[in-house]
Amino acid sequence: MASKFIALPKGVSEKSFTAAIGEFRRIVGQDSVLVTAEQLAPYIKTMMPVSDADHTPSASLLATTVEQIQKIVRICNKYKVPIWMISTGRNFGYGSAAPAERGQVVLDLKRMNRILEVDPDLCFALVEPGVTYKQLYDYIQEHKYPLWLSCPAPSAIAGPTGNTLDRGVGYTPYGEHFLFACGMEVVLANGEVLRTGMGSLPKSNTWQVFKWGYGPYLDGIFTQSNYGIVTKFGFWLMPAPPAFKPFVIQYEQEDDIVEIVETIRPLRISGVIPNAVVIAHALYEAPTKARRSDYMTGPGTITDEAVRRIMKDHKLGAWNVYAALYGTQEQIDVNWKIVTEAFGKSGKAKILTDQEAGDDPAFQYRAALMRGDMTLKEFSLYNWRGGGGSMWFAPVSQARGSETLKQMAMTKRILGKYGLDYSGEFIVGMRDMHHIVDVLYDRTDPAVVKAAYQCFDELLTEFSNEGYGTYRVNTAFMDKVAHTYGPVQRHVHKTLKKALDPNGILAPGKSGIR
Amino acid sequence: MNATRAERTASALILTGLFAIVTAAGVAWATSQEPPASGFVWKDGAEVYAKVCAFCHEAKVGPTIRGRGLDPAYIRFVVRHGNRAMPAFRTAEIDDESLAEVAEYVSK
Repeated sequence: MASKFIALPKGVSEKSFTAAIGEFRRIVGQDSVLVTAEQLAPYIKTMMPVSDADHTPSASLLATTVEQIQKIVRICNKYKVPIWMISTGRNFGYGSAAPAERGQVVLDLKRMNRILEVDPDLCFALVEPGVTYKQLYDYIQEHKYPLWLSCPAPSAIAGPTGNTLDRGVGYTPYGEHFLFACGMEVVLANGEVLRTGMGSLPKSNTWQVFKWGYGPYLDGIFTQSNYGIVTKFGFWLMPAPPAFKPFVIQYEQEDDIVEIVETIRPLRISGVIPNAVVIAHALYEAPTKARRSDYMTGPGTITDEAVRRIMKDHKLGAWNVYAALYGTQEQIDVNWKIVTEAFGKSGKAKILTDQEAGDDPAFQYRAALMRGDMTLKEFSLYNWRGGGGSMWFAPVSQARGSETLKQMAMTKRILGKYGLDYSGEFIVGMRDMHHIVDVLYDRTDPAVVKAAYQCFDELLTEFSNEGYGTYRVNTAFMDKVAHTYGPVQRHVHKTLKKALDPNGILAPGKSGIR
Repeated sequence: MNATRAERTASALILTGLFAIVTAAGVAWATSQEPPASGFVWKDGAEVYAKVCAFCHEAKVGPTIRGRGLDPAYIRFVVRHGNRAMPAFRTAEIDDESLAEVAEYVSK
């Protein structure tokens, strides 16, 4: 007899699962437990080069309160049913809203979307996991608070809780998002509710202003992990500066990345340039204004000659450095002098501001991201190869020119072997760089899908062989990346998992932890 | 069927009552603002379009979809299933009622 479910959790019988579903329905209501193929269709669509069947959920629970979640984990423990938690479910290129393993029940927290507090004096927010950046942005606008957000590129539909918990980044001075996290509420696998830091103290009013609390700092273990369900999330907001000056610096040659990084690093470390600068390759920016098919047809990697034509036709550098200055006009004037002198030394840099590049679609969306405005323009990348395939390859690099050149060359060589293009950028941290490459491929072509999988696997292998670790990865490759960090870290992760979640009900497989 | 907007608001109010009981039990944190009683709910299809769809479909990222007489049933299907690079949208994000409204809004 065919199952009444489209998938079952590993090791759970249909009879047990039916009983669990019945109990879930009593907790959240009949309509908030989704089990049919039609209801679950939106959870199944991913951009990864693996079968949808590998990541098909058995059900989705639309919880709206902490108390419901406490009851849900009790049922999960009783029936050994694993749940995969999502907040806005917009982790595109990293697995979207699908669970890590077939049959896991999605705990969808999108409807927990209250903005609990925004303090315009102390500049912080406390939100539930389903709050999107757009919702918070509108709230701040409506209240006329002089506060700015820091968002990842899918700003409008993603949210601060999920992005920060996956240690995502943005493009303002608050771009390293987890640095600006302050206080979480977490439902543990045993149903207890933990408030981290100062939040554990009854009547405390310092939960969102002092990160460390007392004793071992715990917030970190709830990021990229499966040790708890974050139900409230506090973070700091940037006061809107009196003046803002975005700019782009273009360089003509790929190996100019050495000069770029050597020039940027001291400016970034000293705080002259305060934001998360992006050094974007021509092919990362080209989709905002060019069509690949106008320059290259047929299979295979785009040629360097075609890239040069795109650069010429669409006013792009081989590298395009997007940065901004923030503060009073006087502060900006002083720092602008320092920046232009530093980049002017070799004569290779072309410096453009709002005045020269304000109409350019790439500059416009980059400027929007650097002031925390809403845009989805970066999704133009998905039109480059078409077919809906995308994986973010995200190795970490030192902010050192020779290292970035080496990583770029390695990536380009491996992508080229599989007929894929180098759509890459470096996001400049304080001393590191997130080297971010969108591995774009046609997911409707089985041969290309197979090549994309092999390519990504080889990228991870070759980079780890060189000592380069990946900071974040899609759900199809989490075990592989966990393995690259060695047995001791995996053992510690597993020890914590056993202590906090002995039945393994919370997101088994997240970051390779079970 | 999913809960209607009015039902969800009502249930949110009931649950807020429960929340108040729990906070009274001693797990409160001190805030300068009263947390809102309920979460975000879409006003109408035009709002969904402006705050979600338009970021791609009015920005030359996705194709123009308004004013083309697209069948609302087709729009509802694409929103729930996605299409190539277009992501799928869940009922938790755009409830069935709001989806029907935005599909009508787009098709006209």
